[in-house]
Amino acid sequence: MNESASPLQSPARRVAAFSLSRISTIAMSTVTQLVRMKTFYFLLAFALLLFAVGNFNFASSPAQALSTLKKVSFGAMDLFAWLFAIVATALLIPRDIEDRTLYTILSKPVRRIEYLLGKLGGVLIVIAISLAVMFVICSFMIIWQQLGYIAAEYDTRDIRTEQEILASVTLIENAGFRGELIYAAYASFLKSAVVASVTILLSTFASSSLFTIIISILVFLVGHAHTMATNFWLQETDNSLVVQMVLKVVKILIPNFQLFSFSEGIVQGASVASGVLLQMSGITAAYLFVFLLISLISFGDKEF
Amino acid sequence: MKRPLSQVTKIVLVALALSAFGLLRAPWEDAIRDDLVENQLLLPPPAESAIEQMSQSALMGTLGGLRTLVSTFLVLEGFDHFSLKDWEELRNTYQIVTSLEPRDENHWRDIVWHLGINATANMELDKSLPEFERKRRFQQYALEAIDFAERGIQQVPESAIIRQQLAEVYREKLKDNCKTAEVYGDLIGLPGAPEYVRRFHGYFLARCPGREQEAYDYLMALFREGPSQHLPTLIKEIQKLEELLEIPSPERIRAVPRQSPAQRRASKNTLPGGIVIP
Repeated sequence: MNESASPLQSPARRVAAFSLSRISTIAMSTVTQLVRMKTFYFLLAFALLLFAVGNFNFASSPAQALSTLKKVSFGAMDLFAWLFAIVATALLIPRDIEDRTLYTILSKPVRRIEYLLGKLGGVLIVIAISLAVMFVICSFMIIWQQLGYIAAEYDTRDIRTEQEILASVTLIENAGFRGELIYAAYASFLKSAVVASVTILLSTFASSSLFTIIISILVFLVGHAHTMATNFWLQETDNSLVVQMVLKVVKILIPNFQLFSFSEGIVQGASVASGVLLQMSGITAAYLFVFLLISLISFGDKEF
Repeated sequence: MKRPLSQVTKIVLVALALSAFGLLRAPWEDAIRDDLVENQLLLPPPAESAIEQMSQSALMGTLGGLRTLVSTFLVLEGFDHFSLKDWEELRNTYQIVTSLEPRDENHWRDIVWHLGINATANMELDKSLPEFERKRRFQQYALEAIDFAERGIQQVPESAIIRQQLAEVYREKLKDNCKTAEVYGDLIGLPGAPEYVRRFHGYFLARCPGREQEAYDYLMALFREGPSQHLPTLIKEIQKLEELLEIPSPERIRAVPRQSPAQRRASKNTLPGGIVIP
């Protein structure tokens, strides 16, 4: 009997071991999934927050008002980015199991690493779009306020000299919009990417989304505070050996999220060198790569 | 058939992988951290005293990377204390704010203004307190303002606005002409310093006992820069010093004061009160 003659028994089509197109398909479906969760409604709240802060009348000078507006807007952007990264990533895999989408996907020739990469990619695309929109809104608000303050300075021409007005305008411009602020948004993106990779690792082990969210927030807080708290603990305990060992273990196991807070410095006027950006991008890529690989230890042979 | 790994084995493997990655990245992260601190992109940890004073939620926010949001919230709280004239609480709030964001000169300037100008003015007016207590608190707030200003200048050495506010405290509240002159002198040449600080340095130097000759030389040097410096106050101050130092008549200045922008606009067709003759 000639088996190869039967179309039903023809050899299986060869499937590429790793496909970017499969990853992008999963990523785009994740984006659609997140958009349907009405994620972008947050942007409306963000715009209202900026409008409210822009109209607060407590600042003692235009420069301070602009500085406050920048700090609140970039602080809110940062908060949204990491919180969204945790919640969205923690919800995605359990929802796919609940909707039975996961079974359909994994019954196709899709590698599990591709599935994880696609999910992570989708979350990161939504975060990037949100940060970009928030950056545009906040830039518009800052420039609008800045122009208003500068116009008000020029209105005082009758009572002040040209030099005095120029000095005030310079102060306002220094506190106002700078092109480098885009790097502050980029810093928030890098931080949320690492947070998402940690959450995806935890979600491969966890039995519920709630558990993943709580533990991820805890990891984030510890990762943010351990550098800050190290000196205090060591001082309080007279450099106790046990405390030193605990701190070392924490430092090794938990990502140092404080590093990714360099957006605060940019918002306050510090200049950022391209080398710093490259290094931060490099370490973020390393986190994503390693955490995804580690996620496979649990997810690779997980039965659903 | 390949047996799936047990949950314990997986956890051990994950811990080992995380440790290996942690050991590799720790030196890299330390180097990056040093870079970021050097470039003022990362803020130093807040002082222990500030952490002790923080409320639980503020502390959680700070530890959670919401430092700038927490400090903005505290500035709002400080404004509330200012409205209620609660100067002690205002000072405590700004201790935390300045510790959270030591590189933001606006915070230092604000607390110097609140304590040095507003709190001291309140002590001048508040009749509910006995006279001796008002004087004691006036001094206390002024000195605290100076202390904040000095700490602020240490953190932001190039700041003009902190020094301007400090000069105002010395000038308006403590009436210390020598110190006022010194602070205006420090302001000269700093980025963002207004042009008038050069003249003010001379004006207050002229009022500092024993430094009149130095003030005269300084103001004359300004005067010689040209008509742009021939302002009424500068000429008046030089003339006062000429009298005081008994400058010989041929060496004395004879100048018509330059008009201010408002005076220039109000010339010819304008009556007093800004009424324009058509």
